[in-house]
Amino acid sequence: MDKFWQIVKHEYTKHVFNKRFIWTVLGMPLAIIGMIGLVLLIGLFVVDRSPIGYVDPAGVITPEAINQLEGNFFEPVLPMLAFETQEEADAQLRKDEIQAYIVLAADFEASRDARVYYTGNLGSEANGQIYQVLQSSSFSDKNIPNLTRINEGTNYLLQAADGSRQMRNDEWANFVLPFVMGIVFMIVVMTSGGYLLQAVVEEKENRTMEIMVTSVSPMQLMAGKIVGNLAVGLTQLLIWVLFLWLGLTIAGKFFPFAAHLNLSSEYMLISIALMLPAFVFVAAMMATLGATVTESREAQQVSGLFTLPVMLPYYFFSTFLTNPNGPIARFLSYFPMSAPLATTIRMAFTVVPTWEILMIFGILIVFSIFTVWLAGRAFRLGMLSYGKKISFRQIFKKEVSRV
Amino acid sequence: MSIIQVNQISKRFGSTQAVNDVSFEVQPGEIFGLLGPNGAGKTTAIRIILDIFKADSGSVSVFGGPMTSEKLNRIGYLPEERGLYQDVPVDRCLNFLALLKGMEKAKAEARITEFLKRFDLYEAHKKKVKELSKGMQQKAQLIATLVHDPDLVIIDEPFSALDPVNTQMVKDLLIEERNKGKCIVMCTHQMAQVEQLCDRLILIDHGSVVLSGSLADIRRQFASRDVLVRSETTLPQDLAGVQAIEAHNGRVKLVLSEETTPQQVLAELVQRGIMLEEFEIAVPSLDEIFIKVVSREEPDNG
Repeated sequence: MDKFWQIVKHEYTKHVFNKRFIWTVLGMPLAIIGMIGLVLLIGLFVVDRSPIGYVDPAGVITPEAINQLEGNFFEPVLPMLAFETQEEADAQLRKDEIQAYIVLAADFEASRDARVYYTGNLGSEANGQIYQVLQSSSFSDKNIPNLTRINEGTNYLLQAADGSRQMRNDEWANFVLPFVMGIVFMIVVMTSGGYLLQAVVEEKENRTMEIMVTSVSPMQLMAGKIVGNLAVGLTQLLIWVLFLWLGLTIAGKFFPFAAHLNLSSEYMLISIALMLPAFVFVAAMMATLGATVTESREAQQVSGLFTLPVMLPYYFFSTFLTNPNGPIARFLSYFPMSAPLATTIRMAFTVVPTWEILMIFGILIVFSIFTVWLAGRAFRLGMLSYGKKISFRQIFKKEVSRV
Repeated sequence: MSIIQVNQISKRFGSTQAVNDVSFEVQPGEIFGLLGPNGAGKTTAIRIILDIFKADSGSVSVFGGPMTSEKLNRIGYLPEERGLYQDVPVDRCLNFLALLKGMEKAKAEARITEFLKRFDLYEAHKKKVKELSKGMQQKAQLIATLVHDPDLVIIDEPFSALDPVNTQMVKDLLIEERNKGKCIVMCTHQMAQVEQLCDRLILIDHGSVVLSGSLADIRRQFASRDVLVRSETTLPQDLAGVQAIEAHNGRVKLVLSEETTPQQVLAELVQRGIMLEEFEIAVPSLDEIFIKVVSREEPDNG
């Protein structure tokens, strides 16, 4: 057991204290910050901030309605300029002093006839603001309580008859969560798997295999490598999550939606519990692959194939949506490679019975132990044939003694 | 008690009989030579001893029984396929390998520092392994083999890539280990080193043992009836009992007839007043024995 931890430590420190790792880890948030900066910059230049004119002989548009307007960085409140006549407004529009103007009919109250004049394109910000102003102006003298709330529309609460599930139409996070979890899972699998693959092939390229197998058991070695590299992937993820949390906290101050994300802790816990053995399973498959090929480049190419079955549930997303307990959804949640994603997606749309979750968990654990054993065996065989490929058939033959 | 006991092991890879009915024993406190031409089956035999391969038949006992993970900690192995982690500093690489042999951290660090200094590598201990020269890597690899003070050392070609100074140092080290009662199994092609170091040896060819015993026994077995002589004067061609006179590395080789003894030739040379600088019974070198045995085997198995 002690040797196992030595290998974990060796694998972990080898990567985490490497410059390449530090750049990879910091590179992603830096790139995101850069992109956000770019979007802000574009927002700054693209949004047309020039005023909107209006001709309102009936006096429908009230100053209160204009004052009520709320804006943000991307959707600023545009100044509203009143004109006596359409000619005046038109002259300003042609001089590009205003981006558009509205002409309300003298009998607007009855006819609700308004015309918008503009040159070029009418920006969505201007369009939205015109609509908003007209709507609130129409009701501003009617003294309707909770007008703003009424304008926001209705919230639905969907409730299963047995009370096992409920869902609000504004809890969109529940739909997004499986996607986010899936992406997280993929990131950990691909980064850690990549490191692992490299670590196994390196053993071959450095020709350290014989020294290794005369010091530790191949299973110890493989398990140590898998856990060590998983820890590297999780470290990377943790740092990114910290950046994300930081980003959301800052964004929450500007964008109110980010503040109401509430995640079910039970859901998160089950997802993570499923992902750990699934990771070991995929990683061990990759390690087996690493032991059967001779060059890291070759290994990298083939490892891409592993993303396909892992991502499979995404391709069947609509099936999950319409029939989350149907045969396809069930099969994908039992198949070890697609299980973590498929199960989390199903859990987002339906109640997955406890026995099923336990069974999936069991399948994943059995498969992960089996594949680690397989990886150890492949490693032991692989070391006997430097520069040669080994076939999967050989792994099961009796050539190897102690694993 | 024998450290290694190999009983009639055989191993076949496909159509190749890599090891065929090989038996030998290695005792504590001896340097044992495992010799043979390329592809003779030495490495396979070692891998069977270390339980990397399973023998098709026969048995191996190490430290008095089958291999266990505890026994691995008592073995130092320098494989034919050299390798260290290229991308990590020398001291970290050695520390890691020492810990995998069950050493305690502090003890491992102390031993590694001691060895690095002895091997003149201490200056480079923070460098990455890949930045070292081939000879320095070989020394680092030897440190990894010996750092945990193993009772059994198995080394494959320990002198390749070493300069004469380092070769001598490694030789001294091996002799020192032997004198401490350690058991050393050495695979090499460099017969001069075997002659200087090995107490006993076996020669494997085409998977089978073709020669075994102590160095002295083998020499005697292959002793020829030749005498090497160095003299200022030219030797007369009509020496009694001498069949032929050949030049031999600045000396002269006298090939004696069946019934003649070296004593008789010496007596005649003295009697004829020939000034001798050197008179030596030509014991064949291990190189010569090696070539002789291996080429003799060739027609039978080839």
